[in-house]
Amino acid sequence: MSPLWTFLPLGLAVVSAGTPWRFRGLSLSVGLAGLAWVALGGMGWASGWGAPYLYLLLLGALTLGLAPYLPAYLALHPREAHLYALLIPLFLASMAGVALTSPGFGFLFLWEGMALLGYFLIALEGPNALAGARAFFLASRLSGAGLYLAFLGHAHLGADWVWAGLLLGFGVKAALFPFHTWLPQAHPVAISPVSALLSGAMTKLGLLGLYQSQHWFGPPPPWVGWVLLLLGLSGAVYALVRGLGEEDLKGALAYSSVENLGLMLSALGAYFLKPIPLLLGAFFLHQVAHALFKGLLFLGAGTLAERRISHLGGLFRKAPELGALALWGMVAGAGLPPGPVFLAEWQLYQGLLQGPFLVPLAAGALALVGALALYFYVRLFGLAFLGLPRGEVEVYRSQGMHLGLGVLAGLLLLLALAPGLVLEPLGVRTYPNWVLLTLLGVLAGAFYRGLLRRPMRVYGTWDCGFHPLTPRMQPNGLGFAEPALRLFPFLRLQVGERPHLEEPLAEVYPGMGHLYARLAALVQTLQSGSLHLYLLLQLLTLVVVLGVVLL
Amino acid sequence: MTAALALLLAPLFSGSVKWLKARLTQRQGLSPLMEYRNLAKLWRKVWIRPHTTTPVFLLGPILALLGTVGALVLLPVLPGPAFKGDFLLALYLLGLGRFFQMLAALDAGSSFGAQGSYREGVVTVLAEPGTLMAIAGAILLGDGFSLSGLPELGVENSLVLLLALASLALALLAEGARMPVDDPTTHLELTMVHEAQVLDHSGPLLALYELAGSLKMLFYAGLMALLLPGFKPLVFLGVVVAWVLALAYLETYGVKLRYLRLPDFLSYNTLFGVLALLGAVWRF
Repeated sequence: MSPLWTFLPLGLAVVSAGTPWRFRGLSLSVGLAGLAWVALGGMGWASGWGAPYLYLLLLGALTLGLAPYLPAYLALHPREAHLYALLIPLFLASMAGVALTSPGFGFLFLWEGMALLGYFLIALEGPNALAGARAFFLASRLSGAGLYLAFLGHAHLGADWVWAGLLLGFGVKAALFPFHTWLPQAHPVAISPVSALLSGAMTKLGLLGLYQSQHWFGPPPPWVGWVLLLLGLSGAVYALVRGLGEEDLKGALAYSSVENLGLMLSALGAYFLKPIPLLLGAFFLHQVAHALFKGLLFLGAGTLAERRISHLGGLFRKAPELGALALWGMVAGAGLPPGPVFLAEWQLYQGLLQGPFLVPLAAGALALVGALALYFYVRLFGLAFLGLPRGEVEVYRSQGMHLGLGVLAGLLLLLALAPGLVLEPLGVRTYPNWVLLTLLGVLAGAFYRGLLRRPMRVYGTWDCGFHPLTPRMQPNGLGFAEPALRLFPFLRLQVGERPHLEEPLAEVYPGMGHLYARLAALVQTLQSGSLHLYLLLQLLTLVVVLGVVLL
Repeated sequence: MTAALALLLAPLFSGSVKWLKARLTQRQGLSPLMEYRNLAKLWRKVWIRPHTTTPVFLLGPILALLGTVGALVLLPVLPGPAFKGDFLLALYLLGLGRFFQMLAALDAGSSFGAQGSYREGVVTVLAEPGTLMAIAGAILLGDGFSLSGLPELGVENSLVLLLALASLALALLAEGARMPVDDPTTHLELTMVHEAQVLDHSGPLLALYELAGSLKMLFYAGLMALLLPGFKPLVFLGVVVAWVLALAYLETYGVKLRYLRLPDFLSYNTLFGVLALLGAVWRF
């Protein structure tokens, strides 16, 4: 049975984009496609048809959450809504297509098409998104260049060159360390559903590609594993530290994506060094969990009119249902126990500790990542949702949006209760997480009710007997992170009237753009328009060709 | 089992430290058993809910306690559940408690709570990697990849285990909010870390926090007891007594480090952790 039938609803979505009931049609058909992918992907993964089906499952789950959310969200953007309604189904289809095709020209065509659609989706946001869209575009050029090197050259070049190309091609998509800067530039500027898709699903295609490459092009040389492990972990630490100083809520979430992708890359790298099933379990479980919780958080951020952390605050009391969903997403995202991300990290730790040579030391880096992630998510949730409100923030509420968030949160809970859905085909087992989750839930609930029954008085927060507390007395986004940022000297932090955090790696993509322009200018000198020069060039070419042929 | 024992011991532990500190400064001091009555009194009291707060304010103390108890359940001083990789779950359950404690501190909307919260975050970032590497080093030398298979201090593994013990001792001071890192008796905003977070919690909420605080220290003491040879429950009691003496001495004659000097202090924790793990990998 060809999996192509699952693309049919998306065709309907594209057709319905031009009709008056486009939103309802979009929701329905995208939801159908999501259901079909979840069903097909679940069946395929359970019966061992390979990693692409897990990817299909992941994409389908994310799409299920997106389907009820999209119409309500797009109604807030009436001007570009029809374009989004046209592009998003195409983007979904291209991602699923990339996952299912085998390497070759079809793959490259879909890969570039996906990159182009992603670029359009980001650039649609208007002039503010220009820098981000440009960075995304350059990153996809770089990624494409790597893939051409690997795909076209694998018959002629050695494994080292092919894998260098694959690392560049798929690694840039998966935000490998020094090339990750496109991600925090591009993802926050796109609209929230697109950010959720880019961060939750598209980046995973790089990981999937790297994993599948060992079946396509043969096993990687050992240096590939080391590069993935080292760059993955350095990227995770770097992204968390930089993200701690990020003021934009979605920007911070994008840095957290770089962290999570770094952990997945290091899991894959360690697996290349020593194939332990636990590492593969960490690699795949983390992908699904990350897609779900990051989708939940990005879509949740989309319901807020204000995204600067230092201007939020007290949202939990204003929108308790959103607060509860975000809290669950952030507990999961911080890698804390009952959540599925912890299960993945738990396997990664064990896999690393059993690794060869000095690999066990990477567990220390992983512990640092865990502690930083804790700090990072306390900052995000605590400053945005708790405390006194720092300003008037509009929260868009609609049933569809809440339904979408609820679906993703529910799927995340399902994954925490039954991680075997992902892990069973790999033959990996975890401790019984559902026992822990149930016990914690029941006991916490009992304590909570018990405490509410105890005599209580509602009163103001203690203010030392001076003037009453004002919201400005709470630390702002940079103030909360400052003590931790001082520990890491690779970031330059300026405090004072205009606090500012510099991004030392910000120049990677603009620099590449300049280089590309210089190269183009050099080539342009050949096109002088002078007939004499062209004739000379022709003669030279003839001489060279004859020389090569005759000698 | 271990958790039940620790729950019984925890008030006595913190009570004795307070009593001994009082005696060392020539004061009478309250009875070491006072802490039990104190907890019972706190549980009965009316508690104050700041008007800015959300359910997270209550979840803070609840999950701080549940997380610590959960970690203690996995600690095989007395027999309990054990499985591959349980040490990671135990450490991360402590992390869960810390996460909610930090959030609850932010919930009151005052600058104190927030200060305590980010300082706790910095201490965690500094202390966590070394602690984990120390335990991982000991686990690698043992069998079964679990806390129940930890090796005991002997001649052939002395280097790794001594380094791990040293690292855990420093972690106990940092995570238990004790002297060179935090001054548990102060209410001065310049110095407090743990106190600042619990400042707005009163009555039964404070009781849960106090219990969780002493239980956390017993967890680290229990980990150290697992690495020492002998009948585990007795060794555990011995380690606890040793810690009561050490803490009282340290907090009477020592000073709190300046906040900016913390990285220097905790770098030893990381260093010992790295060396312990290296030693375990290369089988020194």
